[in-house]
Amino acid sequence: MEPVSTPHRPHKHLRTEKLPTDPLKPRIVLVGNPNVGKSVIFNYLSGLYVDVSNFPGTTIEVSKASYLGYEVFDTPGIYGVSSFNDEERVARDIILNGDIIVNIVDAVHLERDLFLTQQLIDMGKRVGLVVNMMDEAHRQRIAVDLDRLEEELGIPVIGTVAIKRKGLEEIHELIVRAAEGRQNRTLHAELHTMLSSVGSQGEALLVLEGDTIVAERHGIPPADIGRREEIYIDRRNRVNRILQHTVTDMETGKRVSTVLGRLSVSPIFGFPLLAVILFFVYQFVGVFVAQDIVEITEGEIGKGFVEFHIKSWVARDAATTIGVEILGLDGEATVQRDFRFDDGISGNPALWRDLRAFIDGNDVEYRFTYDNPWLILFFGEFGAITMTLTYLVFLLLPLVLGFYFALSILEDSGYLPRLATLVDRSLRFIGLNGRAVIPLILGFGCVTMATITTRLLGSQREKTIATTILQLAIPCSAQLGVIAALLATAGPQATLIYTGVIFGFLVALGTVMNKTLPGKISPLLIDLPHMRMPQLNNVTKKTLYKTYFFMKEASPWFFIGALVVSILQVTGALTRIMGALEPLVVGWLQLPREAATAFVMGLVRRDFGAAGMFYLDLSAFQTVAALVTITLFVPCVASLMVMLKERGLREGMTIWFGSLVLALLVGGIVSQILI
Amino acid sequence: MQLSTIRKGMRVRIEQLPQGEMRSHFIRIGLMEGVTVSCLERLPGGTIVLGLHHQEVALSDELASAIMISRL
Repeated sequence: MEPVSTPHRPHKHLRTEKLPTDPLKPRIVLVGNPNVGKSVIFNYLSGLYVDVSNFPGTTIEVSKASYLGYEVFDTPGIYGVSSFNDEERVARDIILNGDIIVNIVDAVHLERDLFLTQQLIDMGKRVGLVVNMMDEAHRQRIAVDLDRLEEELGIPVIGTVAIKRKGLEEIHELIVRAAEGRQNRTLHAELHTMLSSVGSQGEALLVLEGDTIVAERHGIPPADIGRREEIYIDRRNRVNRILQHTVTDMETGKRVSTVLGRLSVSPIFGFPLLAVILFFVYQFVGVFVAQDIVEITEGEIGKGFVEFHIKSWVARDAATTIGVEILGLDGEATVQRDFRFDDGISGNPALWRDLRAFIDGNDVEYRFTYDNPWLILFFGEFGAITMTLTYLVFLLLPLVLGFYFALSILEDSGYLPRLATLVDRSLRFIGLNGRAVIPLILGFGCVTMATITTRLLGSQREKTIATTILQLAIPCSAQLGVIAALLATAGPQATLIYTGVIFGFLVALGTVMNKTLPGKISPLLIDLPHMRMPQLNNVTKKTLYKTYFFMKEASPWFFIGALVVSILQVTGALTRIMGALEPLVVGWLQLPREAATAFVMGLVRRDFGAAGMFYLDLSAFQTVAALVTITLFVPCVASLMVMLKERGLREGMTIWFGSLVLALLVGGIVSQILI
Repeated sequence: MQLSTIRKGMRVRIEQLPQGEMRSHFIRIGLMEGVTVSCLERLPGGTIVLGLHHQEVALSDELASAIMISRL
């Protein structure tokens, strides 16, 4: 049994990266391994208002909230406090700045999780321990002696089933009682001698464990890796000893585990199960949200109501021509009429009444052309304000909500790490590891959203490869709808060729990048959490946070993108680009010259590009060539902007130009072979 | 022998872990020399799912071939 140390007062001259904090409120930091239910406990403490922000200098999201007189910080899931990756570096700095640590562990995985607990104790922090998922332990016939655990660790311990809200009421008392636990005395003494040069015991420990960043902050050399290993092995042995006294396996040797969890990584059932899951996700996001819901929100509310009212309000006193097309049942224009208001709508109420009567009850498309170029810039056909509003609020918002909802369900069920395991080998061919499956799937929803998600990948190399594949070879949901409709007309042979070409291109692109980019794929090492029934409450909250964070981050880029296109239109550059593309489109791609317009429209929004193909009367093979080109073609302006931000100007522009060249090249080759 | 040669259902003892940062991580999750693990699943391409006490850990073929084991 190890001796118990006495509490001490650490020096106060921390020099770490910080989030803005309130100096008067004590800081509670939630710490835990991945998938231990930390977010549920954070939600319980935080109530409704949560402040999500990027940790300074990183792309890791950190949530902060208020709880009574405290500030509560959530941290990324980690296995230990060190600097092995971005998540750990962020968590480390928040922990160093925290006053009280609430450490959440999984009752079934105590062996893994208590390593972090003991490390936090060795740091000299005040810690309270939440042993979560007590029900799962019970189910697996594992008995955990919480009183004994409290005694061994020297910190208060409570047992909870967070998703069922069991035991959560005890957290407040845990926070109040949080204490410095029982530390390794030899280590503690050594840490104390370092305090004069390092500031706090926590930092001293990290320096001893070879953390180069913390050591550098204090201008001293880190201890070598051998010392870290020694400390780690000591700690591991201590944890194992504690476990011998506190955890009893009532059915030794027999593992009870969810059938579904095992099947999902089995070579025989894993892939069919994945197919079933993808089918349901597609039915929900791709059909229900992307088509049914968006048709109402974008078509009827966004364009038909909000945009129409904004535009006609702008046209009240401004000279405007309003073109109105009445659409037939097949969506093609049947009658077209222009209404000219020299002094704005208010100057000619009679004509306005005519217009309303003309529209009355019909399905219409209208186009406001203002005489004033500034109005066109902000409120015209591609008006930066009107288009961004419709796009963001009425198209993207429902889609992103739908996608994050599905993703949160998969995440909370514990399926995602299993999916990563299942596909790891296949993704290796294209230079990625199993984790990349998440951004790749999200890409089918929205490439912009998926590009932001590439942050979760382990290395810059993987981020580059995943981003390139997303931007070039993955069609987003807006585009998929139109592509599917066009291919349905073109027939099964065309569909097969299109799918084959895009898939072949994706594999070739990944393989080439994997072979040519320096470095290698980071190996997969992932632990599989229990499969659990997702709780609606938590899923909803997660969906809302993620959606909010994405909208906050991406919205300005959509606006800037729309503004750029609007400027191109007002200055006539758009027409010139189309003119310049025409010879290439007609001669090389063998498509009608109007296809150039569709391609340039793809710049604005990828689906505009594909939609433009509807009216061109293309043969089946022309459709294939056009769709291949448009799929590989430059991504929409918003995704380009986000890519530039994530990957930097040089790399982003390289990918952008690469996509332009490859789209025309591959599309042309397909056309030359087929036609 | 290497961990990558393990078959589904086998129980083995870890004899040697690779050096470096990976080793520190293995110690943190409780995968150390002398520990017994079992192979719960083996996917085409060599990705394996290990049972380590109550944990299930998936690791790629490449990583598994850096770990030495002995049969029980």
